[in-house]
Formats: sequence, C-alpha cells, structure tokens
Amino acid sequence: MSIARPARCLFCTLSRAATSSHRIPRRPFHSSPAQLNRKADDPSVKASDMKTLQEIRKDLKPSDFKPYTEEEKSRLSEEYSPAQIAAIEAGEAAIDPKDMAEQFAVRRDPMKFHYLDDFSTIEPVVDKHIRAPASNSDYNARLKDEDELMDDFARYFREMPENATAADWVRFVESLRLTIGKEENELNPSSALVPDLFEPGESLSKDPQPVESLKTTHGQEKPSEEMTDALKKLLQATGYTLDTIRSLKLKTLVSHAVVNQTRLGKIRRQYCLSIAGNGNGLLGIGEAKSEESSDAMTQSRYRAIRNMHPILRYENRTIFGDVRGKVGAVELKLMTCPPGFGLRCQHLIYEMCRAAGIHDLAARVERSRNPMNTVKAAYEALMSQKDPEEIARARGKKLVDVRKVYYAGRV
Amino acid sequence: AIVIHKCTFCFADGIERSAVPLKFSTGLLQRPYALERLSHITTAVLGHSLLIPDMSLVNLAHVCSSLNNANKARLALASIPHTKLHLNICIALQQSGLISSIVRGGPTAPAPHLLLGHPTIVDEEAGAEPVTQSNVASRRLWVGLKYWQSEPVLGTMTSISTPKRKISVKLPDLRNILQGRRSGSVDGLRSPGECLYLKTDRGFMEARECVEKKVGGLALVRVN
Repeated sequence: MSIARPARCLFCTLSRAATSSHRIPRRPFHSSPAQLNRKADDPSVKASDMKTLQEIRKDLKPSDFKPYTEEEKSRLSEEYSPAQIAAIEAGEAAIDPKDMAEQFAVRRDPMKFHYLDDFSTIEPVVDKHIRAPASNSDYNARLKDEDELMDDFARYFREMPENATAADWVRFVESLRLTIGKEENELNPSSALVPDLFEPGESLSKDPQPVESLKTTHGQEKPSEEMTDALKKLLQATGYTLDTIRSLKLKTLVSHAVVNQTRLGKIRRQYCLSIAGNGNGLLGIGEAKSEESSDAMTQSRYRAIRNMHPILRYENRTIFGDVRGKVGAVELKLMTCPPGFGLRCQHLIYEMCRAAGIHDLAARVERSRNPMNTVKAAYEALMSQKDPEEIARARGKKLVDVRKVYYAGRV
Repeated sequence: AIVIHKCTFCFADGIERSAVPLKFSTGLLQRPYALERLSHITTAVLGHSLLIPDMSLVNLAHVCSSLNNANKARLALASIPHTKLHLNICIALQQSGLISSIVRGGPTAPAPHLLLGHPTIVDEEAGAEPVTQSNVASRRLWVGLKYWQSEPVLGTMTSISTPKRKISVKLPDLRNILQGRRSGSVDGLRSPGECLYLKTDRGFMEARECVEKKVGGLALVRVN
C-alpha cells in the first residue's frame, strides 16, 4: 500500500458540520510504514546528488539562508495576500541567518522524533484530539419556535428561483438552522467527551468508506421470506428487533424422540431443549415437543428467547462463589474460577456458559448425568447465585471485594 | 467415713459420699474436712473431674439444627439452651448482622416490643424477666431471625467441631480458608458472605476478625 493515496474521510463527505467548519487535513490510517528512502520520482535527481541530513548540517553556512528572489516572491503572491507577504518578510528579517545556521541541528536528544514529519497534518492516534473550543458553546441557545421555522420556509419560497430543482431544496434544508444562538454551537459544538478513535468511515486496514446513511427501508427487505406468525408473535411479545434476535446465541442442546401410547397407537413426537443467550449476561432455556422435528426446534428456541433472564456474573467472566443445583437425580456444583481458567466443564454446561457470557468456570456433575436435567440443574444453579449487594443490604453490613480493593485484581 | 453436712450451694441436706462413684472420689476421702466441703461441691456441681471447666460442644449441633429448622419454617424467634457458648456465638452472629436480637427468656417466647416488633430487654412495658435462683434452670435464649426477599439471612448453619473431635485452626491455615482453599478438614469459604466462627483466647470471633487480630482458635460453626 502506498502512502501517496490521499484518504479523505469525514471532511470530504457532504456533511453539514464539515461545510461550515474549516477543514483539518488528517492522515490516513494506513498500516504500511512510510517509505522514506525511496528513490526520487524525478529521474534527473541522482542518488549521488542526494545528501543525508548529517551532511546537510555539516555543510550549512549562514550564506545558505538567502532572502526570497523575485521569482519566489511572485510565486508567493499567487498564494498569499500582500499583507501576509509583508508579515512573512518581516518575520524572516527578524531572524539572523547566522543563528539559523548554528541552530539548525538534527536532534539527538532522547526526546527526538524517530520519524520525519512536518506536523502539518494531524495523526488520528498520536496527536492531540481535534476538539471544538469551549468558546463554541452557547448556553443561551434555544430551539426555534414553529413560527420562526415557518418564517424560514416562507423566506425560501419567496426567494426561490424560477426553475427550482431538488438541489436547491437540499441546499436549503442543509443550511437550515434549528437553534437560535451561536452558529458554532449547532454545527461544531464543544464536547467534553473524547472524540472517537475511528470516525465513521475510518478503519485501520481499509480506505475510508462513505458513511452509511440511515436507511429505514433497508431492514424490511430481507425477512419478508422468513417472517412467520410465530416469529411475529415473538417480536411482539419480547419487543426485540429481528437484528437482536439474529445476534443471539441459540443452540439446541437436547433433542430426542418421545412416544405417547394412546388407544389409537403410538404417537411419536420430537422433544427439543434449547438455550438462548446474548453472550453478555442473559440466558434462557426453552423446551418444546412437536410431531415435526423442525417445528419442535424452532418453538423451543423461541421459548428460550422468551425465557431469557439476567445471570449474575463476577467481573463479567465467572460466577459469584460456588453454587449447587439439583433437578431429579442430577446434582451438580458450579465453582468460581480465576481469570484465564476457561470453561472446564461438561459440553452442555459449556454451551450454556458461552451463551451467557461466562468465561471461567469449573463444574462437577455428581450423580446422574441426564442431559435434560443437567441443563435445568445448571440453570437453577446459575440463577441461585447470591448477590453481594443484597447480602450487604440484608445484614446491614458493608461487603468489600478484597481482590479488587486490596490486591488490585492481581490475586 | 460418711459425713453428712449442709451445703449452701446445692440446697441439699447432705450428699452421701458413698453415692459418688469411687473413681472420682478416691482422693477426696483422704482430704481434711475443709477441703472435703469444696471438693464435694466440685464433684456435685461439675460432676466429673477436677480439671478447669470448658464450654461444652454437646448442644452445638442441636443449636445449628434448631436455627436451620426455624429458618425453613420462616419463624421470627427461635429458642436455644442458655449457655455461655451459645450466648457468645449468638453475639458474634448478631455482630455479623445474621440475626437481629438475642433475649434471655423462659420456656415461652418473650413479648415483642411494641415498636420494634422483636423482644428486647429495654422494653419498659414488658420489661426483662429477672433471673433468679428459682428460674435460672428454665432460661433459654430467644434469637430473633432475619429474612430478606423471602430468604433467610442466616442461611445454613453447620457445626464444625464436635465434642469428640475438636478442630483447631492455626493462623496460616485460617488465611488459606479465607482465600477459599481447604485446610485440613475445614473447607474454604467459597460463597459470598460465608462466615466461620472461632473460639479464641481473645473471645468469640469471625474468621476474618481472627486473621486481623492474628489469632487462631477452635472452629465452631460455619454459616453459609
């Protein structure tokens, strides 16, 4: 990857904030290092003519610092105004060339920069954040009334050109102010929050992508094929969106056939036990039976989603203390473990912990190992954890986590 | 010789020395009269030996059972025999916040305080029943139990030492137990808020207090 490609990110997209605020060039997030010792693009410049910094410094004389020639001055006048040029010349005149020659040095102190940089562009990670100054805030700003907004619209319609296009309308809407107060307060407000490391569109590996606009119709296209009544009811009952449900960890742990003997004969049904978890403290189990195995699986999953409950987690990785669970002939105990221990337990309990977001656990199933009851007993055990906050409240005593407070999490 | 005399302590006209088993009284028969009086009292009152008296763990397991049963039945008060050991353990439990009150009462529960809801000795209305020589034997300790969110605050109490097997825990072992590691026959404290009460020469304390004061002791009960 070459560094020659300029990456314009936020400031080149058509955003309102950017058009008003001045552009601050930002360096791209390219992972390849700068190729500093490349041969010059110009073939006429030979390698033998190029000097190292050390050589330049050694040979430097006060006479090397000459005033601007007429040609250079004409070039400057193209860029700068006469007042600016006068300021530049005054600044240059104030400094003695002898001092410049003496003080020109390649830094060797320990605080020197290890890379060549003119610091004209702002690096996203290493440089100080670009923040709007506090003077941009206007505490007396208020939203416009309906009347004032109507006035704006009326003014637009009065001043509308003969053949108005959509572009005019868009331009008007983009430039419409919604608050009365300082302009900077609305367009480039000052915030105490640290700006995000990655602005929308920036990434370490890819070139900046155009910011995705919020499309409300985007989500509705896909599920028209899959949306069933059951799923609709689930979305209504839980209030989750389809994206949330897709992001849940669903797994069918137990699945086998069960038979009911009636006077009409044997009725064979499929039984399914599933778990649902969001990987961050929620876990639910659901079971269902149906003559069709796919129906049983789907139903059990939806029931699991409905039954999701929060599970206490210590440091979001393990449980609080050791807990026991018993369902039927299955007796098990779950033991809290130090960080990095991992999930050293039965496959069923392992899946439950992964869905719930528990990363360190040891388990011992003591008596029977019936899969259905194991899952239920493990769930019971996880829900039976004691919250130290509640214990403290019940006893009227303060409970302190010594590991955090005294040992700083190192024990 | 059989000496019958009046005793101010046991309110008895006399105790026939021959009634005392010989294995405990062989030394006494040779003693002079003055000491005989004293030794008679010791054998009568303490029953067995001339050793320094110790708190009996005989009823500790019964106390644990009683409190566990009362917890399961969600009772407000539970009564346990009134002894120094039991009283000291209850004081330690109260200081940990596991029980609300301890009141000395009779075979029936003392009346609750009008405002507080549990019996207390500073109740002006009912007042504390005075303990006299006539009623001292029937006194029991009435323990006020706590409940939070339909669960007992004093979860499950289990006794560790038994009269036959007394388990002492030294300070380094106690430190391990507090960190959750098993030491000897005493399991580590693994649940949040789990407590272990010990009898030390500095008094009855919870395991964490013992470590603070750098003493070990006799492990009595564990509360889950």
